[in-house]
Amino acid sequence: MAGKRKKSESEEINEGEKENNKNNENSNKKMKKEILPSMIKNKEKRSAVHAKLKHEKKVEKRKKLKARDAAEKRALELGEEPPPRMTPRTIENTREPDETVCRPDDDELFAGNDADEFSSILKQESTPKILITTCRFNSTRGPAFISELLTVIPNSHYYKRGTYDLKKIVEYAKNKDFTSLIVVHANRREPDALLIIGLPDGPTAHFKLSKLVLRKDIKNHGNPTGHLPELVLNNFTTRLGHRVGRLIQALFPQSPEFRGRRVVTFHNQRDFIFFRHHRYIFETKEIKGSESKGKKAKDAKSERVTQEKVIARLQECGPQFTLKLISLQHGTFDTKGGEFEWVHKPEMDTSRRRFFL
Amino acid sequence: MPRTTTLDCPGCPPLRALTFDSLGLIKVVEARGEQGGVSKVVERWGDPDASKCVLAASIDDSKNDPLLAVARKSGLIEILNPLNGDLRVSISNAGDAGARPEDDGIAGLHLFKRQRMESSRSCTLLTCTTKGNASMRSIDISNVPSESSSNGCLKSWNVCASGTVLCSKVDRNENYALFGGKGIEVNVWDLEKCMKIWTAKPPPKNSLGIFTPTWFTSATFLSIDDHRKFVAGTNNHQVHLYDTSAQRRPIMSFDFRETPIKAVAAEPESYNIYIGNGSGDLASVDIRMGKLLGCFIGKCSGSIRSIARHPTLPVIASCGLDGYLRLWDIKTRQLLSAVFLKQHLADVVFDSAFADKEVAPAAADPLVHEVQNRNDIEEHEAETMPMKRKKAPKGKDKSKTKASKENDESKKLKSKKKSKRVTGDSHDDDS
Repeated sequence: MAGKRKKSESEEINEGEKENNKNNENSNKKMKKEILPSMIKNKEKRSAVHAKLKHEKKVEKRKKLKARDAAEKRALELGEEPPPRMTPRTIENTREPDETVCRPDDDELFAGNDADEFSSILKQESTPKILITTCRFNSTRGPAFISELLTVIPNSHYYKRGTYDLKKIVEYAKNKDFTSLIVVHANRREPDALLIIGLPDGPTAHFKLSKLVLRKDIKNHGNPTGHLPELVLNNFTTRLGHRVGRLIQALFPQSPEFRGRRVVTFHNQRDFIFFRHHRYIFETKEIKGSESKGKKAKDAKSERVTQEKVIARLQECGPQFTLKLISLQHGTFDTKGGEFEWVHKPEMDTSRRRFFL
Repeated sequence: MPRTTTLDCPGCPPLRALTFDSLGLIKVVEARGEQGGVSKVVERWGDPDASKCVLAASIDDSKNDPLLAVARKSGLIEILNPLNGDLRVSISNAGDAGARPEDDGIAGLHLFKRQRMESSRSCTLLTCTTKGNASMRSIDISNVPSESSSNGCLKSWNVCASGTVLCSKVDRNENYALFGGKGIEVNVWDLEKCMKIWTAKPPPKNSLGIFTPTWFTSATFLSIDDHRKFVAGTNNHQVHLYDTSAQRRPIMSFDFRETPIKAVAAEPESYNIYIGNGSGDLASVDIRMGKLLGCFIGKCSGSIRSIARHPTLPVIASCGLDGYLRLWDIKTRQLLSAVFLKQHLADVVFDSAFADKEVAPAAADPLVHEVQNRNDIEEHEAETMPMKRKKAPKGKDKSKTKASKENDESKKLKSKKKSKRVTGDSHDDDS
């Protein structure tokens, strides 16, 4: 037993040595003789050593940053090109290559767009008309969320759910010329799913809804005006994403009133769709001399004369929430006989760098 | 456990598959090379047009003069040459006056193999619309590609009074056809007499007294027992096995997952069937016991619309709403290759003549009496274009068409040329 432990310890030490070699620091050389903090049994001592190590790392990082900034500054003063900044490796930019990503030179994509269910709305041949309803049981945050959705989406109408089947509601909405149907599903009085159904025969998207923050809970929130909002859809790159993007796009009128300076954003990142709603304003701001000192060299030619800068300020006017696609169904809502265009399956999660939207 | 980032696809044996999609495009996917060929799209026929959305397709992949029939949403049925995509004949399905073709789309299409042997200038088609108007017609394929109104010997009958036909299949000997659909029990017809010979009976109410309405979504004959046994998949995720000689109720039925069975295909000379459902699950089942042999796992996320079994190689192809054509090994149930084809795919067929093209184009020579004048001209035109891909199929066609015109001397010459080409091809494949 003891021998075994000794062996494992020695292995660990070896590993530690390797790491230290990588770091190649004097202080760490001392550490090598000692032991890694995880091997110390006394908690107080262990945490002390760990804190020390951490502090050292921090100091080192700060030093590195300072050196980089200094080098950049020097390069600027000398009139040289500053050394290129390193781009950090993120999950997004190391995403697995995907053959389904839309390409702008793809004629089939555009032909498919012309043929799909949303093309009449997106070509402004018909105006979107939205029906919003809930699940059977609905209270507290649900109605509050819906009243905010009604202010966000123009030409949307709330209908009480009652005890109707969703298929009946779909039929009703078809007859009344609605173009989309949104169902807010709540569980334990907390909205947790969103169903967007394109009508009359468009697809059905089922989203998980999370991180819902209502307007009144947002600090310094604004109140939106009645203007038609602008729509921002970010990062819907693949075929599936493109389709979901078009589904969302078809909820909003295609002619924004820019006077209203109101913008609705659906931002896709790692398959999560973040919803935000803002008002913005353009302000001209005088740039103080001291503040712009660092930028002076850069901006010297262009901004010297005016010393004024137009900046955009944002004010959030809620709600904010996050959507995640669970399934996309072909045709309208049909749980038993539905055909899916896309369903998430566990076997598809082979990597955390693989995204579908 | 570390997750693997890539699913390794070993590649598939040389084959050629044609896929049909919702924009009316026909894409040819070929895999070349003896071991582990990568399959890819080599040709695309037609222009994207939503009104030409393909509803059904059928191929007659005989050695000489293969044909491909495609039914489109606009009510047209086109007969093409599956080797180069040339339109041979296009006919309109508007049988009844007043009925718009969009309302009454074609649910089933079958191109007969046998009848063409007797009269080489025509082919026979069985079509069935969703409202149950089945018709059998023979079409003259030697004339110019235009709206040929003269479709001789039209036999037509009504399969059902109400409901919608969703599936129709013809058995291997092409004597019997089955139809089924929403509100239509599966029924078998004798095609020679145009007579209904058998109808299924709905399964009894369950223990709670609940009757599930009839809704068949897919069906196929089991090829071992000619026309007597067949398998049908229903909308409420059940698979029934019927035996027309035994009883009118299913002799066996089992459940598969929770979405409707959208495609069924049978393995020849065996009791295995392949079923695909609305959420993209594909499985192999031994139909004698209804025992699940295994699932085909490979990130398939959209509804499976069609499954095709390769006639000779142990490969099946599946396609559906996720826009992928996937080729699977039967034995290992491993994904051999997946090709992204961008659109919702409606159907896939194999061109079985492709495999032996490199080996024996000479074998197809004796039957040289079938000459399509138009084809001939086109071939000559196409020859001038340097197209590497088409080399193998061209060689065969050319030989066929030319040889008939030219005399014996040239025939000898050609055979020499051909042999050269054959060797060249084999070299290509080796490298």
